[in-house]
Amino acid sequence: MNYIVKMWLGLCLCLFIGKQVVAQSDSTHFYVSQVLNPSNDSARTRAIKRLVLMRDPLTFPVLGAINDKKIYMLNGKPVTTGEPEELGEGSEVFPLYYLFPENKPVLEADGKPKKVTLETLKKVDVSRSDRLALNLILPYLNLANPEPEKRIIAYGQLLTSSDDSKIKILTEALKLENNKEAQTAGKEILFQLKLNEAVSETEAKAYIDSLDSNWGENVTIVLKEYSASGKVAGAKKYASEKVEALEGLQSRIEKAQNLFSGISLGSILILIALGLAIVYGLAGIINMAHGEFLMIGAYTTFCVQSLFIDTLGVKSDMFFFVSLPVSFIVAGIFGLVLEKLVVRHLYSRPLESLLATWGVSLIMVQTARSIFGDLTAVKAPSFLAGGWQVMPHLILPYNRLFIIVLTIVVVSLTYLMLYRSRLGIQIRAVTQNRSMSACLGVETRKVDAITFFLGSGLAGLAGCAMTLIGNVVPDMGQTYIVDSFLVVVTGGVGKIAGAILSGLGIGFLTKVLESFYEAVYGKVLILALIVVFLQFKPRGLFPDKGRIAED
Amino acid sequence: MEKTKDFRLYGAFIVLFLVLLPLGNLFGIVSNNTISLWGRYFCFAIVALGVDLIWGYTGILSMCQAFFFCLGGYSVAMHIVMKGATASGSDGTSIPDFMVWNQVESLPFFWAPFQSFGLAMILGLLIPAVFAFVFGYFIFRSRIKGVYMAIITQALALAMWLLFLRNETMLGGTNGLTDFKSLLGFSLASPNVKLGLYLLSLSGLCGTYFLSKKLVDSKFGKVLQAIRDSESRTSYTAYRILDYKLAIFIVGALLAAFAGMLYAPQTGIITPGRMDVRASVEMVMWVALGGRGKLKGAILGALIVNFLYSICTSLFPDSWLFILGFLFVITVLYFDKGFLGMIEIIGGKFRRKQITEKVAGHQVVES
Amino acid sequence: MLLAVKNLSVSFGGVHALNLSQFNLRDKELRVIIGPNGAGKSTFLDILCGKTKPDSGEVLYDGEPVLGKTEVQIANMGIGRKFQKPSVFPSLTVYDNMLLAYKMKKSIFASLFFRPTEEIDFQIRQVAAKVGLSKELKKIAGELSHGQKQWLEIAIVVLQDPKLMLIDEPAAGMSDEETEKTGELLMQLSKHHGIIVIEHDMKFVEQIAQDLVTVLVRGKLLVEGSFEDVRNDQRVIDSYLGRANVQLENF
Repeated sequence: MNYIVKMWLGLCLCLFIGKQVVAQSDSTHFYVSQVLNPSNDSARTRAIKRLVLMRDPLTFPVLGAINDKKIYMLNGKPVTTGEPEELGEGSEVFPLYYLFPENKPVLEADGKPKKVTLETLKKVDVSRSDRLALNLILPYLNLANPEPEKRIIAYGQLLTSSDDSKIKILTEALKLENNKEAQTAGKEILFQLKLNEAVSETEAKAYIDSLDSNWGENVTIVLKEYSASGKVAGAKKYASEKVEALEGLQSRIEKAQNLFSGISLGSILILIALGLAIVYGLAGIINMAHGEFLMIGAYTTFCVQSLFIDTLGVKSDMFFFVSLPVSFIVAGIFGLVLEKLVVRHLYSRPLESLLATWGVSLIMVQTARSIFGDLTAVKAPSFLAGGWQVMPHLILPYNRLFIIVLTIVVVSLTYLMLYRSRLGIQIRAVTQNRSMSACLGVETRKVDAITFFLGSGLAGLAGCAMTLIGNVVPDMGQTYIVDSFLVVVTGGVGKIAGAILSGLGIGFLTKVLESFYEAVYGKVLILALIVVFLQFKPRGLFPDKGRIAED
Repeated sequence: MEKTKDFRLYGAFIVLFLVLLPLGNLFGIVSNNTISLWGRYFCFAIVALGVDLIWGYTGILSMCQAFFFCLGGYSVAMHIVMKGATASGSDGTSIPDFMVWNQVESLPFFWAPFQSFGLAMILGLLIPAVFAFVFGYFIFRSRIKGVYMAIITQALALAMWLLFLRNETMLGGTNGLTDFKSLLGFSLASPNVKLGLYLLSLSGLCGTYFLSKKLVDSKFGKVLQAIRDSESRTSYTAYRILDYKLAIFIVGALLAAFAGMLYAPQTGIITPGRMDVRASVEMVMWVALGGRGKLKGAILGALIVNFLYSICTSLFPDSWLFILGFLFVITVLYFDKGFLGMIEIIGGKFRRKQITEKVAGHQVVES
Repeated sequence: MLLAVKNLSVSFGGVHALNLSQFNLRDKELRVIIGPNGAGKSTFLDILCGKTKPDSGEVLYDGEPVLGKTEVQIANMGIGRKFQKPSVFPSLTVYDNMLLAYKMKKSIFASLFFRPTEEIDFQIRQVAAKVGLSKELKKIAGELSHGQKQWLEIAIVVLQDPKLMLIDEPAAGMSDEETEKTGELLMQLSKHHGIIVIEHDMKFVEQIAQDLVTVLVRGKLLVEGSFEDVRNDQRVIDSYLGRANVQLENF
C-alpha cells in the first residue's frame, strides 16, 4: 500500500515537473507565435514584453532578427537572411536560417543551403516601439547572432551588464555555441564573471585554472587585473604566477611565429636566388632582369586563372596546379629569348651583363605595365586559405607552408638535376672550366641555353608561388632582386648549398630584426651585418679553393 | 693635333653654353625653363665625372652615387627650408612646415646646424665624404670588388632610400623637401637667379672637369688605371690599393654631393625618388652611354641622355623607359665605347676615306 | 742568408700543395726550382710574395718574418714577383708601366704631386734598352706580343729594385733566341739581386744554373744540388718519367 502511494506520488511529481517544463516551453511557443501572428497589435506588444522578461535563450534568435529588421516568414516558420551572394546584374540571393524553435540553416531537399531573393519572402513588420522594448536585453540578443564575430562582441558586453541573470544566460548561450573561437571567448567571459564572484580560495583557484586552460585572447589581462584587485587574497598570488607562466609561453609562441615567417621569407629568397646563383656561377652573368621572370611567372598565373575561370568557366582550384608548370615554362622561354638576343654576347663579362640586363628589365616592366596596368591580383585557391593550428594562438598559414614545401621540392629537384644527371655534370663542368669542357666535347652553348631556361623557369615558379601572398604588379621583381643578389653574394658564387644557407639566414635575420626594430632599420642592419660578414669571408660561405680560384 | 681638336671642342662648348644660351635667354629667345633644365643637366654631368673616375678609370662599379648626390641636395634643401620656415615649435625656435603637419614639437638636433649657410655647405660635403670613407673602408678592406661591389652598393642605396622614405627620420618622408623660397636672400623663382644658378652650374662643371683632368693625367690617375687593369700587379708594385680606391671613392662621392647641392635649388624639390636604386644605375648608364674611361664621354653621356629624356617625356610620355632600356642594351652590346667611341669610329672612317681619296687623287694626277 | 724557409705547408681542399721542410737562399744567389706540374713551385712563390696564406711554417727574409704581411709590405721589404701568366697593366703605355714600377714613394699624395725627373727617365730608358723595349715605349702594353709582355714584366720587377726577385717561367712562349737573351739578362741581374727562377725548359735551366738547383715533387723537396747532379739523379728522372708514364697510360 505504502509502496503504491509512494509510486503514485512520485508519478504525480514527475508529471507536475514535466508539465511545468512543457508549460514554460508552451508559453514561449505561444508568445513567439503571438509575436509573429498577433491577434491584434497590443497582443504583440504584450508578447514581446513577456519574452523580454522570460529571457529564454531559445527566443533570442527571433528577437534578434526583429531587432535587426530582418525577420521573414517561410512556410509558417520565422526565418532570417545571412550574408548576400552576388548573382550578377545587381541581383542578390540570400541564404536563410530558421529562427525558432531551432536556429539552423534552411536546406533544400538535396541538402544544399536554400538561397532565395528578398522578393520571394514575406516580411514581418514590427513597430519601432515594440523593437525599443528589446533594448532591455539587447546584449543578449546578439548571443544568438549567426555571425561568430558578433557573438564574441555580445559575450564581451555581458561583462559590463548589470543584469543579475547574466551568468545563467551566458551558460545557456554557450551550450548552443558551435564556433570554437567564440566558444573560447565566451567561456573566458563566463569564468571571469564567476571568478569575480568567487569567495573561497579553492573556488577562485579553480576558476583561475579554468581561465588558464581555456586560454582566451585576454586571459593575461584578466588575470593581471585579478592579481591586482581580486577579492580572495590567496588566489591573487596564484593568478600572478599564472600570468608569468602564460607570458613566458606567449613569448615562446611569438618566437616560433618569427622563426616561421623567417623560414617562409627565406624560402622565397632561396627560390629566387637559386636560378640566379646557377646562372651566375655558370656564365658569369649578373641577370638584373631575373626579378622580371618572377613577374612573368606571376602574370602567367594570372592569365591561366582568367582563362580557366572567365573563358572556360571552370570554377575550381585546378588553375593553380596548371599554372605551376605553365609559369615555369613561359618564364623559361622568355629566358631563352633573352639568352639568344642579349646575354649570349656577354658571357664572363658580369658588369656589362649587369647593365644590359638592367635595360632589359626596364623594358619588361614597362611592357607589363602597358599590357596589364598597375595592379592585378590572383585569387588564391581555396584549399590554401586558412592555416594549420599547431596550438592555440599559433597558426601557420597554408599558403606560406605551401611555399616552403614548394621550395623544398624545387631545391631537391635542382640538386638531383645538378648532381645526379648527365646534364648536371655538364653544367658543373662548364661552371668550373668552360674552355676545357668545350674541348672535351660539351656543347657549351647548348648547356648555357638550357641553364638559362632552368634559371628563368625557377624564377617563374617563384612568381607563381608569390601570387599566393601578394598582388601582381609590374615591378614586383624589383622588390626582391637586391635581396636575392645579397643571398648569392653571401652564399658564395654558384653554390646551391650557399644559396640555401644564406637565403634562410637572411630571411630569418630579417624577420628577427624586424620584430625588434622597424622593418627599414632591420634592412639597414642586415646590410651592415653582411658587410661585416664579408670582412671575414669575402668570397661568401662556400668559396672556391685553390690557386686558380684566386684572381 | 689632339690638342687643337680638344681646344675646338672646348670652344664650341663654351660658345654654345656660356654665350649663346644665356644671351638667348636675356633676349627672350630661350625660355627660362630651358635654362633651368640645362643647369640641372650640368649637375648630372658633374655626377657623371665622379662615376667615370670611380668606374671608368678605377674599375669600381659603384651603384650608390645617387645617394651621395641626394646627401648634397638634402643639405642645401634643409638650409633653404629652415630659412623659409614660418611655424615655430614649442621652444620658440622656428621649424619647417612639414614637421608641423607631422606633429613634431621641436627641431630635431641634426637640423640645427643647417640654419647657417656655411655649415650647410660644409656638412653637405663632409657627410657624404665621411660616409664614403667608412663604407668604402670596410668594402675595400675585405677586397670586395666587381659584381660584389655593385650589389653591395645597390643594397646600400636601397637601404638608404627606405630610410629617407620614413617620416620619423625627419627628412620629409616620401614627399621630400619642397617649397623652396630663397637662398642667401635671392628669390629662387626669379629668372635672373635661375640664370645665375645656370652659370654657377656651368662653371662648376668646367671647374670639376679640369680638376678631374689634372687628376687622371697625374701619376695618381695612372695608378687608378693600373688598379683597373690588374689589382694584384698594382699591389706587388707596392701601391696600397685600399688608399687609392678609398681616395677616388671619396672624390666621386664629393663630386656627386657637390652636384646635388647645385641641383636642389634649381628644381625646387628633392625627394627620396632621386636616390632609389634606379637613379644610381642610370647615372652609371650615362657614363656607359657617353663612353667610359673618358671624362668628355661622361659629360657627353649625361647631357645627351637627360636631353633625350626631356624630349621623349614630352613627345611620347610612356615610351621613355623603353627607349632607355633599348639604349642600355644596344650600347653595352654594340658600342662598348659609347657615343664618344661611336663618334671616333665614324670620324676615323671619314678621315680615312678623305685620305684615301686624296691619295687616289694624287695618283690620278701623277698618272 | 737572404731567405730562410722552415716547415712551410699549405693545402687546398685536403690536397697538400706544398710541404717544404727547409729552403735557404744566399744573397745574390740565382736559384732555379724545377719539378713536374703540380709540384707546388708557383704556390711556393705565391706564399713568398703574400698572395697565398700558408697553413703553417716560417719564412725569414733578411732575418725578418714575411708571413702575415700584406703584398705591399712584402714588396716594400724588397721582394719582387714576376708571374707565370704575364701580369702587366694592359691599358697603360709601356713607359707608364715602367714608371709606376720605379722605386719611389708610392702613397697617394706622392703620386698626386709627382713630377717626372731626368734621373727617372734615364733609368727607365736604360732598363727598356736592356729588355729590348726601347722602340715600344709609347705602345699600349696590351698590344705587345707574349714575349714582350714577359720582358715588360721583368722590367717592372727590375725597376722596383728588389733584393729578391721571384721569376716564374720567364722563357715560356719565347723563341730560342729570346730565351737565350732572357738567360743572359737574369745572369747579369744576379750580380746585384737574389733570384729564384722557376723553369721547365731544361736548356734554359742549364744556361742559367750556376749555383744550386732545387727539385720539388708533390710539394716536397726531392733533391738540391748542382745542375749536373740533379740531371743524373735517378729519383729526379723517375719523378719526371714516372709521371710521364702515368700520363701515357692514361691515354
